[in-house]
Amino acid sequence: MANLSPAAPNVLNERLAALLAQAGLGNRAAFADLYEATKSKLFAVSLRIVRERHIAEEVLQDSFVNIWNNATKYAVAQSAPMTWMTAIVRNRSLDIVRRPFLEVQDEDDFFAVNMEDERPGPDDQLVARRDQVKIERCMKGLDGEQQQTISLAFFQGLSHSEVASHLGKPLGTVKTHIRRGLLKLKGCLES
Amino acid sequence: MKLGNPELRSKLASEYVLGTLKGAARRRFEDYLQRDAALRSDVAQWEAHLNPLTERLLPVTPHARVWKKIESRIDGSSAATNADKKSGGLWESLAFWRAFGLGACGLAAALVAAVFLAKPADQSPMLTAVLAEDNNVARVFIEQPKSGMLMVKMVKPWKTMNGMALQLWVVPKEGAPRSLGVINDTGETKLVLVGMDEKLSGGLVFAVSKEPPGGSPTGQPTGSVMCKGAIAHMPSKQPQPPI
Repeated sequence: MANLSPAAPNVLNERLAALLAQAGLGNRAAFADLYEATKSKLFAVSLRIVRERHIAEEVLQDSFVNIWNNATKYAVAQSAPMTWMTAIVRNRSLDIVRRPFLEVQDEDDFFAVNMEDERPGPDDQLVARRDQVKIERCMKGLDGEQQQTISLAFFQGLSHSEVASHLGKPLGTVKTHIRRGLLKLKGCLES
Repeated sequence: MKLGNPELRSKLASEYVLGTLKGAARRRFEDYLQRDAALRSDVAQWEAHLNPLTERLLPVTPHARVWKKIESRIDGSSAATNADKKSGGLWESLAFWRAFGLGACGLAAALVAAVFLAKPADQSPMLTAVLAEDNNVARVFIEQPKSGMLMVKMVKPWKTMNGMALQLWVVPKEGAPRSLGVINDTGETKLVLVGMDEKLSGGLVFAVSKEPPGGSPTGQPTGSVMCKGAIAHMPSKQPQPPI
């Protein structure tokens, strides 16, 4: 694993982007480093949607084969490396997920528990943190029902009707909460 | 084909990234995405906004077998040299397809001839292909009876698909494979696509990849190549040789 200079604020992003570029050139060692640096975060993203470890493992496998095959295309994606890879993992998770026995976890207290502590991260995470702080601030600006429905959909990959049945609310109401919540988020994020 | 209404575009892009757009609607949206750069940029923007939420999830370390499996799947394409990777990987490597074409051409020619000769001249297809596995077992036969249509016949179905889908691709001389859609894992599939002939133009090889239900989420092959075969373009305007 390459040593990093801890001083530069965007080292993490730059490092992941460099590893992706190297992977695009067929550099297996760089690809292994990329996997090591991101596997646990991405596994958590998938696990939350698909619930079962063996399915999340499949998702992670498929996603990294996909990342290897498409690493050359990352350069034109113009997004942060973690955003790009998270999208691949989320899309694969949403495609593969099957829920014969749906047990939805409550998201009401998501911003209170089940999180890393709030201490500032290491310097090399500053850029990622800035985006994170912004979306979290905007999420907290939503009303309770909007926040709850959007969290259930985003973190657990629930459909409108799954959110509705979990909350015991009419489908139309849930759709409205999500729609209005997303519009409000957009306004906040772009302000 | 584009989504016109800007309000609808923005709504669908946000729901795609949020994950509430599901099933067939998600597939259709991904079709639009492939053709619509502005829509891709809407989606990228929502991803940039929402995906950092996952930063706060507690990391979970996956089992070491995951990396082993990733490595072994990548090794399957280890014939790809650095030069191949630079030009877009094995899928886009002409040398790879040419090498394959030589190996399988005897078998393909025999099968194509058999089918071709069995038909009256006015029904002769515009192109045909036999798709085989690496061990030369023929799996799929394809012909184009007329412009804009492909008939795909599963000659020898796989025993089990484990819920995965089969997706057909045409691999052109240059550039990325183009999707022709998901095919049935038994019997025949009639594929009718707008712009089919443009997709087929310059195509050298058909390939079938294993994909999640509904097809590749990325618009490019993601799963393993199940079978492939060189495309034989038929001189349909020319008189048929006497049999």
